[in-house]
Amino acid sequence: MTSALNSSPAIRLDEVSKRYGRTLALDKVSLKVGEQQMFALLGPNGAGKTTLMHILSTLLRPDAGKAFVVGVDVMRKPLQARRRLGIVFQEPSLDDRLSVHENLDLHGLIFGVPRTLRRQRIEELLALVELTDWADKIVRTLSSGMKRRLEIARAFIHDSEILLLDEPTAGLDPQTRDRIWHYIRRLQTERAITVLVTTHYIEEVENCDQVCIIDNGKVLADGAPKALKRQFGQQLLRIVPKTDADHTEIVTRYAGRLSRADDTEIILTSDDTFSETFLAENGARIRALSIEVPSLESVFLTLTGRDIRDKEIGAREQTKAFGKIGGEHTR
Amino acid sequence: MTDPGTKRSVLMIQLGGLYGLWLREVRRSFRDRGQLIGGISRPILWVVILGIGLNPYFRGEVFGKINFVVPFTYLQFIFPAVIALNILFTSVQSAVSVIWDREFGFLREVLVSPLSRGTILLGKVLGGATVAVMHGCLVLLLAKFADVNLTWMKVLEALGLMAMLAFALTSLGVVIANHIRSFQGFGIFSNAVILPLYFTSSSIFPLDPALSQEQTRVVYPEWLVIMVEWNPLTYAIDALRGALIGYNQFDPHLGILIMGVSGVVLFALALFEFRRI
Repeated sequence: MTSALNSSPAIRLDEVSKRYGRTLALDKVSLKVGEQQMFALLGPNGAGKTTLMHILSTLLRPDAGKAFVVGVDVMRKPLQARRRLGIVFQEPSLDDRLSVHENLDLHGLIFGVPRTLRRQRIEELLALVELTDWADKIVRTLSSGMKRRLEIARAFIHDSEILLLDEPTAGLDPQTRDRIWHYIRRLQTERAITVLVTTHYIEEVENCDQVCIIDNGKVLADGAPKALKRQFGQQLLRIVPKTDADHTEIVTRYAGRLSRADDTEIILTSDDTFSETFLAENGARIRALSIEVPSLESVFLTLTGRDIRDKEIGAREQTKAFGKIGGEHTR
Repeated sequence: MTDPGTKRSVLMIQLGGLYGLWLREVRRSFRDRGQLIGGISRPILWVVILGIGLNPYFRGEVFGKINFVVPFTYLQFIFPAVIALNILFTSVQSAVSVIWDREFGFLREVLVSPLSRGTILLGKVLGGATVAVMHGCLVLLLAKFADVNLTWMKVLEALGLMAMLAFALTSLGVVIANHIRSFQGFGIFSNAVILPLYFTSSSIFPLDPALSQEQTRVVYPEWLVIMVEWNPLTYAIDALRGALIGYNQFDPHLGILIMGVSGVVLFALALFEFRRI
């Protein structure tokens, strides 16, 4: 699956930095995405994923560094780069007063897709994302899942070689999320394209070829999911102590192994022998205990020191507030 | 990859995109009921109610003899100005969609397309101007009520002038919208621009052509005369009046010149600001 890394990469970032006022959104990020890969950028909101996407999509100029898509410098030749990119932004960018069909047709016109090909692709893609019956409906009347499907279809109306997906499944129900992944995978194999996707749903990352974990604008790790698990994965003990006294006792005793602790839960790094001895010694102090084998979740926890879902809501509100004062999302 | 799309010349893509964006504006306008209702009710109010109501008072009394100040009825006099009013409102309002696009994400879709910023803006302005000209034509339908006899030549000439006016005003709307972050702000600002611009454009009252410059300043307060003479819209309406009822207060070429120059300048300004986004 990942044979293409040696040939010229589909996407390349060289020490890209971007700063908003006092916040460093990206700090010398370097990345390579091989051709026809499914590449996931994993990180909590506010990690810099969207900034990175905006730089690749030529919406934003980095303060330093270089970015290439299919060998084209996105800063020097933005028009050329854009013709090769299919982009689905985090927030919908459809014209909600036009119908489903009109939105796709407009996209085709804007990207210079000839009339016959345009018609043919619109038909195919509508069938693929199961929106054929909705073709004449005004976009405003669609559900958010349908809008997302329409946006994915739209990104394939022109000959995109690289698909950038910024949180394609955020805020959607599990069933819709599965379907959207199904469409993306089918299109990826049919068109032989490279996909760069950002997400904060870890289970979606497991099936990707490569994963890059970023936080606070820095790349923390980069590799195939299995390799990451092998390298950073850590067996964890999730402990719910019986009383506060037990809580303090465990925390002080195993301070060396402490990964995280809050009011209810303690997480200790562990291995098979430690788990056994811990249980034998502290059996009376705990109400619940679970042993977590290495997963991407634990990789993330090891690397960032926090659960990926911890900051989800807070960061989203931050982003909104940032938008309100005229930040990147409104420009 | 076989790719007929990217082999097309750059110019063809820009033109296709221009057409797409233009079509979008026009399509949207037909779905915007509020704008349509405004476009229909405004001329009816101005022509039928204000025009007919004020018609008998549009005359002057010289030595006991009643004369019309200008050799036209008031209805005929304001008819071309109502066309300009409809264009004015629609142009500036269609520029609101710049704010919509920015706030609701569609702008991003266009910004990551292979279209240049100039094409994007031109598509927007031409689309908005087309809608505005269509709203101007709604007024032309009322010509019978206003006793204005239309010939094809007159209509064609008027359409050309209306298009120039609409282009300049839509560009003005985009310039305004670029500086405004909210819809409410735009409403207030556009009213603060539209109505004063309209009222001081010699649209609803003529500066008596029989009077010399000095006499005009005696009859009317000087500040008003200055405002009318400095208002570019005055000359646009004057040109339109020349085309439709054959009455000019100023040199008719002045209107074309001023509309052309301000159209180019305002578009260039809008483009300059749009490039920085």
